[in-house]
Amino acid sequence: MSPAALRNVPFREKTAWVMAAILAAGSAIYLNMVISASRALGQTAPPVVGFVIAYFVVIVIASVLFMSALAAASPKEANTPADEREKIIGDKAGNWSGYVMVVPALGALWHYAVNTDGNMLFHLVFLSLMLGQISDYVFQIVLYRQAS
Amino acid sequence: MAKPPPITNRLRELREQHGGISQSALAEAIGVTRQTVIAIELGKYSPSLESAFRIARVFDLGVEDVFGWEA
Repeated sequence: MSPAALRNVPFREKTAWVMAAILAAGSAIYLNMVISASRALGQTAPPVVGFVIAYFVVIVIASVLFMSALAAASPKEANTPADEREKIIGDKAGNWSGYVMVVPALGALWHYAVNTDGNMLFHLVFLSLMLGQISDYVFQIVLYRQAS
Repeated sequence: MAKPPPITNRLRELREQHGGISQSALAEAIGVTRQTVIAIELGKYSPSLESAFRIARVFDLGVEDVFGWEA
């Protein structure tokens, strides 16, 4: 994308790209950790509270750093509240991402009902939350692309 | 791709007629982002009634002089 084209990208779409990338990277690291630990144990690895807390801390710090950089690059846009079109996009994306979150969460409950594997229930619910949040940003990007 | 709303507009034409008002200036005048003005101009987004009135007032026209319904 050329610098001129990048200037035409709405500030909130840029933040959605950044947040989707941060969350996707964090989720990939989390999944990799769970899969590796589960393979080593020969069963579903139990949740490691320290890692979950570290996950949130890293996500928050990375978000603050990247958002600050974006805001510094476009201070006027960053200080402007969302307009009517951006609010609609945010509402739609939030609504659709709710469905994305519910499907794996129901799958997690079903899996627990059948296998009574509490560790897997934790990981699947955590995955549902991550997917829901990532899809929220992905839907925002799609909607911004459609209406720009 | 979502179907564009059946609302037409003369935004680009009116901007040019009124001394070449920029999309940014129009956006600032009506309280939206420049990208929203672009989306309206391209017919990809239908503004709220309030924004439609604000746009019409910028050009000193009625709403129906700026926007139309595609038959």
